[in-house]
Amino acid sequence: MTAATALKPAPAAAPRSGARLLVSTLERLGVDVVFGYPGGAIMPVYDALTGSGLKHILVRHEQGAAFAADAWARATGKVGVCMATSGPGATNLITGIANAMMDSVPMVCITGNVATHLMGTDAFQEIDILGVTLPIVKHSWVVRDPADVPAVIEEAFHVARSGRPGPVLVDLPKDVQVGLTSEDFGFHYPNETTPVDHAAIAEAEQLIRAAERPLIYIGGGVKIAGAVQALRDFAGQTGIPSVSTLNALGSVRTDAPGFLGMLGMHGTKAANEAVQESDLLIVFGARFDDRATGKLNEFAPHAKVVHFDIDPAEIGKLRAVHVPVIGDLTAGIEALNARVAGAPLSIEPWIVRSTSNARRNAFRYDAPGEGVYAPALLNELSRTAGDSFVAACDVGQHQMWVAQHCEFSRPEAHLTSGGLGAMGYGLPAGLGAKMADPEAHVVTVSGDGSFMMNIQELATLRRYGVALKIVLLDNSSLGLVRQWQELFFAENYSEVDLSDNPDFVAVAQAFGIEAFMIDRRDQVTDGIARLLAAPGPCLMHVLIDPRENVWPLVPPGKSNAEMMHDTRFEGDM
Amino acid sequence: MTDTLQIHIDRADGSLQRLIGLVERRGFHIDAMSLSDEGAMRRVQLQVRGRDAGRCTENLGRQIDKLIGATRVGCAPAPFAYRDSVAA
Ligand SMILES: Cc1ncc(C[n+]2csc(CCOP(=O)(O)OP(=O)(O)O)c2C)c(N)n1
Repeated sequence: MTAATALKPAPAAAPRSGARLLVSTLERLGVDVVFGYPGGAIMPVYDALTGSGLKHILVRHEQGAAFAADAWARATGKVGVCMATSGPGATNLITGIANAMMDSVPMVCITGNVATHLMGTDAFQEIDILGVTLPIVKHSWVVRDPADVPAVIEEAFHVARSGRPGPVLVDLPKDVQVGLTSEDFGFHYPNETTPVDHAAIAEAEQLIRAAERPLIYIGGGVKIAGAVQALRDFAGQTGIPSVSTLNALGSVRTDAPGFLGMLGMHGTKAANEAVQESDLLIVFGARFDDRATGKLNEFAPHAKVVHFDIDPAEIGKLRAVHVPVIGDLTAGIEALNARVAGAPLSIEPWIVRSTSNARRNAFRYDAPGEGVYAPALLNELSRTAGDSFVAACDVGQHQMWVAQHCEFSRPEAHLTSGGLGAMGYGLPAGLGAKMADPEAHVVTVSGDGSFMMNIQELATLRRYGVALKIVLLDNSSLGLVRQWQELFFAENYSEVDLSDNPDFVAVAQAFGIEAFMIDRRDQVTDGIARLLAAPGPCLMHVLIDPRENVWPLVPPGKSNAEMMHDTRFEGDM
Repeated sequence: MTDTLQIHIDRADGSLQRLIGLVERRGFHIDAMSLSDEGAMRRVQLQVRGRDAGRCTENLGRQIDKLIGATRVGCAPAPFAYRDSVAA
């Protein structure tokens, strides 16, 4: 880690409490929004919030605070901040922390705790939250002296956003919050930059020039590194086709020529076939997740691998790499661009082959029937909303349909719980994203199962007048689980029925939110128009066919070459 | 395959737990361990063995390098040197 330089102490006036120092440090760091929920062990901090420059958003469950802060960070590129009290408040943050860890989202989580002399005694609402969260944070601290608060908070922000970003936890015992100090040191963290490894770039170029079937495999790291333009330039000037992970969708526009779609379990046929046929994978900030690779030892069996990543621990973690390029992705890809400029590759047959495969296997929206066909609805929704469309997804079939059928113009337009796959993400994430980008058409796409997991955040939308739009795709079941039971558990539909769902329109209205229902295909266009035009938050409850499945599908444990398809679209319909 | 990792680690809350938890989570057994003081830091020697053939110590070492407050100072195939050690 880079040594921080201590700045001279701010002119110390009267002694201040740890809680006040926390608030003033957050202000100094430019934090404008904090998502949280109070309680006994963090009350001094809440006391110090009053009159500060921080806007605190009172969510209705700490998990909502963590998810909203996560989405805020994904949407703004800044560090998200959430806070909770000790014990149950802190444990409620955990799923959100793990979510940010898996998707490398910078987040600072602040928890109150019992006073230091009580820690370790099973005091009321005491939890060793540092211990509990060790496997799911990038780093964590217990602050034991009020004078350390500013330095720890500044270091926390630095750690959260530097290198491979991630969530950090700062635990503040109550005596530290109320304890007084007149010290207040600022720290300055220089930007760490790994110099570009030009030798590795030269080797990468050689492999690229020698390849007949090169393919770009885009991961979430591209967006995190701000390397979107560099990547687009690389893809544009070389013509190399690309595939994307779930988390990286939008890094190249989904309608760009040469983009073959998402790879993996619910990826496109064109993307998975291209991976299997390629002789060189150029991996930008991806981590070979099993949902992307399928059976690992049959993944891209003929391909050499060039892997660009800022995290050295990702190199060779799951797949042998021929040329690793470790360091900042933007600098790395730009250096590569400089080398490939001017001397075109001769991969025309491969480009033609893979893109015509994509055209031949494009998704179809002409499924038979009168009922709402969710893929068609989502495709129309994203096209209607245009380039300012942002989807905040929950987890399940609807999440996969969004990934497959929505058009994305930028990676911030697709917020999804990728690595963790946490149901309940969609509503609080939509809240965070809409607050971060009020002008965008932010739409939470949820399922009836997922929506119930954080439905209480409708109250938060209402309170702050956040004009989030919600599309609730209701198949009266835990659809994705039901699909697996159908296909892999001999249709034993165990505990997935949700046919006794509440009336979601009435529920939303009870929270003070505009809501309406559609259940026919011919209502879709008007429904989308009404939803997007609503001045405030609005929910469109969509009844869909409970038997609808997500296609294609690579069965678990199988190779990506073994995809199952929608038989309705085989041959003539 | 057994390897010995030598690590310098600070005394912050949870630092040892962080290190040991990481080693176990990444699929390694710790067969022996020793701790000694080295100025403001602690020196930790870990003799580790992958739980299955797919676990590579080099990879584990890179994960340890990412721990804030820890630096890997060496990795060698066992034997394990009990240098002014405290039994683990
Ligand atoms: C917190 C959590 N619990 C359980 C799961 C397992 N799971 C994955 S998808 C799914 C069903 C989701 O149902 P719903 O939200 O209705 O969406 P659908 O698949 O019907 O579109 C479940 C239970 C999960 N991903 N997250």
